[in-house]
Amino acid sequence: MDFYLGLLQIIGVHTLLGLSAYCVLLTGQVSLAQAGFFAVGAYVAGMLTVLAAWPLILALAVSAIAGGAIACAVGFPALRVKGLMLVVATVAFGEAVRLFFFNFDYQVAHGDIRIGPHGGEGFRQIRYFPEHGWTTLDVALFIWTAVALVMAALWWMDRSRAGAVLRAVGEDEIAAQSSGINITAVKVAAMTIGGVIAGLGGGIFAHYTTHIEHVQFGVVLATFAIAYPILGGLSNVFGTLLAVIFIQGFLLEGLRFLGDWRNLLFGGLIVLAMNLRPRGLLDAGSTIALKRLFFKTKE
Amino acid sequence: MDFLDFIDIVQSIADGVLFGTTYALLGIGFTLIFGVMHKLNLSYAAASIGAAYASLLIFAGIKAPPPLVFLLAAVCGGFIGGMVYVIAFRFIPLANPLATLMSTVGLLLLIDEIIVHTTSGVPLAYPALFSDVIVRAGPFNLRGDLMFVFVLGCLCMVLLLLLLYRTKLGLATRAVSQQPIAAELCGISITRVNGLTFVITGVIGGIAGAMTGAAIGMLSPLLSLPLTVKGLIVTVIGGLGSIPGAIIAGLLVGGLENLFQFARGVSERDLYIMILLFVFLVFRPGGLFAPSAGRD
Repeated sequence: MDFYLGLLQIIGVHTLLGLSAYCVLLTGQVSLAQAGFFAVGAYVAGMLTVLAAWPLILALAVSAIAGGAIACAVGFPALRVKGLMLVVATVAFGEAVRLFFFNFDYQVAHGDIRIGPHGGEGFRQIRYFPEHGWTTLDVALFIWTAVALVMAALWWMDRSRAGAVLRAVGEDEIAAQSSGINITAVKVAAMTIGGVIAGLGGGIFAHYTTHIEHVQFGVVLATFAIAYPILGGLSNVFGTLLAVIFIQGFLLEGLRFLGDWRNLLFGGLIVLAMNLRPRGLLDAGSTIALKRLFFKTKE
Repeated sequence: MDFLDFIDIVQSIADGVLFGTTYALLGIGFTLIFGVMHKLNLSYAAASIGAAYASLLIFAGIKAPPPLVFLLAAVCGGFIGGMVYVIAFRFIPLANPLATLMSTVGLLLLIDEIIVHTTSGVPLAYPALFSDVIVRAGPFNLRGDLMFVFVLGCLCMVLLLLLLYRTKLGLATRAVSQQPIAAELCGISITRVNGLTFVITGVIGGIAGAMTGAAIGMLSPLLSLPLTVKGLIVTVIGGLGSIPGAIIAGLLVGGLENLFQFARGVSERDLYIMILLFVFLVFRPGGLFAPSAGRD
């Protein structure tokens, strides 16, 4: 049972990561910096609860703000470049953050042991959940509450004017600009929202794994972050959730019985999925089809 | 700083510049594909390492003389390049850049896993040429294997430039990269040109992979991600779509990388390269040789 709860936790945190990339992708920008914001959130939240003994909710709020602030600061110079240059710029930012934490050493004496981030060895002593007697179920529920809140907020945003503005910039920048939208502001705002969600996700991640180190936040994680929304489709937030369940639940855990072959199949299935459904698993067409299926009587 | 330190610095920069030819070749590959298709092929460096691996496996099977392994790597690279085009680009609508980005990521993971699967993840030794030759120039030593890598890299670049500017295929490639629709109206098959570009970049990548193997002395699947990042950085610093830019940026990154490694140690080395890239993006977003704004 604990295994499935653990899997639920992983899926929850990765959904947050995917949703952070989803916001940026809506404006047509591919950002591989989400793993960097995620890392910042993880380290900030971890240091606040471990070194400063803050309560978890407060620490997560600060980590979300930190993620958002850094995303905003990165957004301004990085969004001067478009499309593929942005991919490279954000890869470089993500790697720079990772290398920063690789060299980051801030330890304080706590009793007879030293705690805190310790360079390449990582940050080990994030024991908030066990120390406060949270069970795996509690943690899973907590994570999914956060996921549900974020998804609801994004769902609402998507249906409001803000969502229309984001998608307008994503579809055609020039057309959006000519209808009076400040595209730089929109892109930086999307990046900031993405940073907030990634920071929150990172903070939660640090607490359920209890040990974070720089390797976890590399290019691979950044690629996963954009893989979820692209694979799931950008028509709505459930596409990202579906893709996280597909990748984490099915490809990584469900195919474990295949042994070594699972890894081979992993990349192959992603290529196949993109060939068969280039607009994502849950694209606009299938969303309408699903709606018809469930709400037939109403129409 | 005394004289010996100075010699060490110059020496490490020189080694870095010689190794930088591999970065330059990878940068050319990324740039060419971007120029023709306006798409990023993230599986490129992995495919290059894959080609080097394939050449090594065939080489071990047929007991050929060592220089042949580079030729084999080029052939394998061309083949893999063509495969990459068919698998990750041919059947995906061109209007959807995210889909091809994702499919090349999938392919990157797939190629890495195939390498791990066939070699059990153990790094393989790569035959280096002229590794016993050391040219002494005053107080400096130039390693024979690095010199060989450098010369080979320069030869590839010259051949590539001849191909692009002196042949019909090169003319077609440049036409497609400037105006795909006009090129198609002139009777150029875009699919064919795109496919051939992937084969050509694959050949270059195969040679770059073999050169990396020869310069480091071994091949490991762990090389593909750092090489992808370095190749992309070189592409951006040189200016997307600019071949001379990619060459100069490759040598620059190679030299600076060794300088930073000498000055600050291996764990901080890449951090400064990333910062360098950011400086470029902020102050010169078009890169060293930004191509004049095209008509899109």
